[in-house]
Amino acid sequence: MASTRRVLGEPAALSGISHHLPYSNPHMLHNHPPDTSFGRNQEESSFDFGELEEPIVLGGVKINKNKTKETLYSSVKASAILEMLPSWPIPRQRESSKSGEESTDSGSALIKPDSESPISTKAPSDHHKTARAAAEDDSDREHDDLQPPQPPLQSPDIQMESARTGVSQSKSAAKQTTEKTLRRLAQNREAARKSRLRKKAYVQQLESSRMRLSQLEQDIQSARSQGLFIGGRATTGNISSAGAVFDMEYSRWLDEDIGHMSELRAAVQSHLSDGDLRAIVDGYVSHYDEIFRLKGVAAKSDVFHLITGTWVTPVERCYLWMGGFRPSELIKMLIPQLDPLTEQQLLGICGLQQSSQQAEDALAQGLDQLHQSLLQTIANSSLNDSMHHMVIALGKLANLEGFVRQADNLRQQTLHQLRRILTVRQAARCFLVMGEYYGRLRALSSLWASRPRE
Amino acid sequence: MRHYQKSSHASYHPATLHHARYPAAAAAEDPLQRVVRLASGSAIVIFSVSTCCMCHALKRLFCGMGVNPTVFELDQDPGGGEIERALTLLLGSGSALPVVFIGGKLVGAMDRVMASHINGTLVPLLKEAGALWL
Repeated sequence: MASTRRVLGEPAALSGISHHLPYSNPHMLHNHPPDTSFGRNQEESSFDFGELEEPIVLGGVKINKNKTKETLYSSVKASAILEMLPSWPIPRQRESSKSGEESTDSGSALIKPDSESPISTKAPSDHHKTARAAAEDDSDREHDDLQPPQPPLQSPDIQMESARTGVSQSKSAAKQTTEKTLRRLAQNREAARKSRLRKKAYVQQLESSRMRLSQLEQDIQSARSQGLFIGGRATTGNISSAGAVFDMEYSRWLDEDIGHMSELRAAVQSHLSDGDLRAIVDGYVSHYDEIFRLKGVAAKSDVFHLITGTWVTPVERCYLWMGGFRPSELIKMLIPQLDPLTEQQLLGICGLQQSSQQAEDALAQGLDQLHQSLLQTIANSSLNDSMHHMVIALGKLANLEGFVRQADNLRQQTLHQLRRILTVRQAARCFLVMGEYYGRLRALSSLWASRPRE
Repeated sequence: MRHYQKSSHASYHPATLHHARYPAAAAAEDPLQRVVRLASGSAIVIFSVSTCCMCHALKRLFCGMGVNPTVFELDQDPGGGEIERALTLLLGSGSALPVVFIGGKLVGAMDRVMASHINGTLVPLLKEAGALWL
């Protein structure tokens, strides 16, 4: 049951609300506790109903009563509760029976979490259909179609008597129970109605958001057609921009990275054979190849998204170089952690650091020239041919993608070369260090964001 | 032939494309043959465009390594377009420039040059061609 609930609660922000929507499963409505207090004590629900009570003002929400019910329900098992509830006898009496019997209808079903509803009130309930009963989901009555055996009920006999005679020895006790029950069942009805209203509100919110979304998409399309939006070369669909798509893919890549990391860690600690370790290490290299491929695709549509770096955490963004990490810096960090290295390996790695440094410098100088040339083009345009210069500037701007691509190429080649120089075991430890390093940078961003401020 | 003067310490010399004037009566040289001829003329040859920033980056890379490449700026040559098309055919992909030849042999465009530098094959190639002395 819990798993079904979670499926419904897919959008994280709305998980609280969506948990209350019973439309997909009749059982959910019945198993759904009327109040938050019940929910905490039943294994199925794991959310705090109470948190939702405040923002959604539906009026007449009596939280005090819920608390008393909480102690009652937490201490009494479901079957015992049922024993206390009236079933067949109650419908006889008119004024209290109508509400009582509907309450039985919904209440008993609500309280008993099992699929069997021992108290079947199908026959009598058909006769007494009020507005409230009609308003309840049809699933309620479906549920009551099951004809389970009636549990031995002590109080119903008493209540039957009291219903008939109106006055009896244990009438006060029975009435007290009945009153409590009625109150409880009224709460159930309240909660069910609240839940329905909440569902309506949620659906309305969805509808309005959807309309707003389509409006935004239209705006983007019109702006794009007017030529104000340049990144329309590779249309990745109208739903989200290329940047948003890449962000999604990148977060998925991060999740996979965690998986690779734990795999590497386990492999290194458990002293796997070289063959098995090689597969894992090469898998990690392919993992990086994949993100470079994704970045290449994203660069075609929205190179500024990659350069601006909103897809990385703030701390990583400080160290962002041409849309990614700086290879020479990575090598510099890794060298002391790769001990022991043979002399040849050390030479190779230092050579790698030097050549990546040279390549980075060359790309940086090329990019710098691009910046200068672009500024000159824009600054030099006179009033007459400013449009012409803008077109030229646009052409120059298009070269940005090439630089980001070359930078990613540099990063990819550096990782491959690292893999070539090191043995399998060294490479495994090296990638562990690397993953841990970037993980710490990301963690630092989170810690910084959640630091206490005066 | 204009001199390349982007930086004050230009350490590569612009080359003169050996037939500055179109040959009148002689058979027009096939662009590919011209490429081969030009490429074999020096230890390291770059076909470039003077205004291209990526070409500038490539030139800075070689300068940083202490190499003096021979540069042909195709936008400053009437036959430049043909050469660029021939290079595109050679490489098998669009947007060919800049292209590098070392020791008369084709190395490739920017990404190939970077890759060969990172994997350590560029320097031996340069040494072998005599473009680089330790």
